[in-house]
Amino acid sequence: MQEKQEHVRQAGGTAADEAGGHGSAAVLPHGPVELLLVEDDDSLAEEIVADLRGRGYIVSRASTGREGLEMAQKGQFGLLILDRMLPEMDGLSVLESLREQDITMPVLVLSALSAVDDRISGLKAGGDDYLTKPFVLEELAARLEALLRRPVYGRTSILKVGPLEMDLIERTARRGEREIDLLPREFRLLEYMMRRPNAVLTRTMLLEDVWSYRFVPQTNLVDVHIGKLRRKVDKEGEEPLIHSIRGVGFCLRVPE
Amino acid sequence: MFRSDLFRTAAFRLTLALACTVVVGMLLEITLLYGQVSGYEALRTNDLLRRSAAVLMQEPPGELEVKLNERSTNELRVFLNGAALFDQDHHRIAGDMASWPEGLTMTPSVQILPFFLPDHSVTVMRFLVVEVPTIQKGKARFLVLGRSRHMADELRHMARKSTLYSILPLVSFALIAGILLSRRALGRITKMHDTIEQIMQGEMRERLPVGRGYDDLDRLAGSVNRMLDRLEQLMGEMRDVGNDIAHDLRTPLARVQARLERVEALSQALPEEEGGRFERAVGLCRKDLEQCFSIITALLRIGEIENGQRRAGFKMMDVMSLVTDIVDLYEPIAETQGLGLFVAIGQGPVKIWGDADLLNEVLANLLENALKFTPRGGRITLSAGYNELQEPWVEVRDTGVGIPAAERKAVMSRFYRADKSRNIPGSGLGLSLVAAIVHLHGGRLVIEENLQGGEQRKGTVFRVIFPLVKAP
Repeated sequence: MQEKQEHVRQAGGTAADEAGGHGSAAVLPHGPVELLLVEDDDSLAEEIVADLRGRGYIVSRASTGREGLEMAQKGQFGLLILDRMLPEMDGLSVLESLREQDITMPVLVLSALSAVDDRISGLKAGGDDYLTKPFVLEELAARLEALLRRPVYGRTSILKVGPLEMDLIERTARRGEREIDLLPREFRLLEYMMRRPNAVLTRTMLLEDVWSYRFVPQTNLVDVHIGKLRRKVDKEGEEPLIHSIRGVGFCLRVPE
Repeated sequence: MFRSDLFRTAAFRLTLALACTVVVGMLLEITLLYGQVSGYEALRTNDLLRRSAAVLMQEPPGELEVKLNERSTNELRVFLNGAALFDQDHHRIAGDMASWPEGLTMTPSVQILPFFLPDHSVTVMRFLVVEVPTIQKGKARFLVLGRSRHMADELRHMARKSTLYSILPLVSFALIAGILLSRRALGRITKMHDTIEQIMQGEMRERLPVGRGYDDLDRLAGSVNRMLDRLEQLMGEMRDVGNDIAHDLRTPLARVQARLERVEALSQALPEEEGGRFERAVGLCRKDLEQCFSIITALLRIGEIENGQRRAGFKMMDVMSLVTDIVDLYEPIAETQGLGLFVAIGQGPVKIWGDADLLNEVLANLLENALKFTPRGGRITLSAGYNELQEPWVEVRDTGVGIPAAERKAVMSRFYRADKSRNIPGSGLGLSLVAAIVHLHGGRLVIEENLQGGEQRKGTVFRVIFPLVKAP
């Protein structure tokens, strides 16, 4: 299954975007993970389940809040995707009960509500991430990845990813022997990417995590930032490290 | 302005009209009373003259002269101001009239004539002439009795005086009452006027003040308020319908999106040429769908912000630091578009009470708007500060195409696109979203022409003015 997908993605990626990226979805690096989806809309749930299974996850689904709570308490799930508005028991109550029982699996809250207050209350109740409907399935997948694969936070002040090296105290970056001259905002962006090598990073994730902005820009804002960074990181003749994943986002891919 | 308003109020006019009516009524009454009394006095005088004449006629001929000269009878002393006996040639025989009153004729009725007193002053008197029987045959004698109209004059004088004394205070009282009443009315009207102005500004929750008096103005205000309740309800329902539609569209569209993604994935298994065609078609669909989502999301966000008074995320913050950060975020885009993006610094921190995420959305929308409408080579300047009322403000100033004065209000309404911007992509909801967020913060959005851009560089200034800083 994974092999097939990899093959399929590469076949389709030939006409990838002009920015020089080379489309390919990340294959689950952490082996199969069991997910629980609590969502009351059947058709949407079906699509999500089908998509996630296609990505190599083992997915169970509950359609009411009560059912979701029971399943989450019994089963050994690596991650919970929880809709906020559910029949019988709403998503936030489910989340609070789980957290009270010290069930600490990462939880991604889905919501049709987008106001800042809802986001805050979702995260306060113990959610690890928050995704507003409608979302692109790839955005969901990228966020699941990010939740499952905790970023690299070593004790050292030097980050090393492939040929890239970053000194967090000196605020310098180099690729091999070449010094990369970065603006502060480019430094932050590269640091974020270097802490999550090989992970697909969506535009929203970058905007939220690197810049702490929660609006959807009407411009290709993130692409421009990435483009600038890429020009400094990937010089002509060097193997490209920053890749665009069409329709999804970006990825700092380290050659094996 | 205010003074003339004061005299134009209904209350003032009503009081004035009432005062006029009372004055006219009083004048009528006094005139009538005077007429009655003076008529009565005339009758009494006539009666007195005749009675005195009758009494005097009884006197023997010799006695009459004596009586007249001495004016010893009661009647003569009390009632009559003049009494004299004349011969047929109008020569005085006895009495206190020096000469025959001018114009006095031989008629039995009482005549009113002017009379010259010995001191040459003139007085109007009532005269009665009677022929007195005489001893000498052929020689007629006439008794002339006169009574001055002194009483009537006195009465007229009194009437005039009392009229003046009662009308003056009445009129001034009416004037003062009118001014007080109309000031009160004007105060209420001004309050109502201000409220209506606020409602017209979009504060649909405002209501007209209704006093406890429940007078006609209060009743009218009550009716207007009920009308506003209904209007607000209808507007709410309309908005809810819009939001419901947007909300209900979201789930099926999300399904379409998910299916398209799957189709896209499947198409990659097809032979290259066919797969490519599929992919392009699906890609276009997904792009359009994305725009649908951005419109729906913006609509719902506006709805949420307009409906809710949720201020959980509010705290004191420095809007200047938001400005600096957002400029840092957008600088690369401005650079690729050949635009100068600047922050006017120097004011130091500008503190406001608000939600940083929402305010960033405002700044981003205004900035993207400016980026969209400013041609290459232009400048966009962001700044913040306090105005003369100490209200904090933040503004985005561009040298773009500008917005005609007539369209400035309309650009904030939903889906509005200026004619010349039809070809520029966007949901048309950005500025309504901005307006909704600004409104949630109790601020106002001002759109002006940029006069600092120089001759060819006209443009637009979007300024958000926040209320005076206060944390609840």
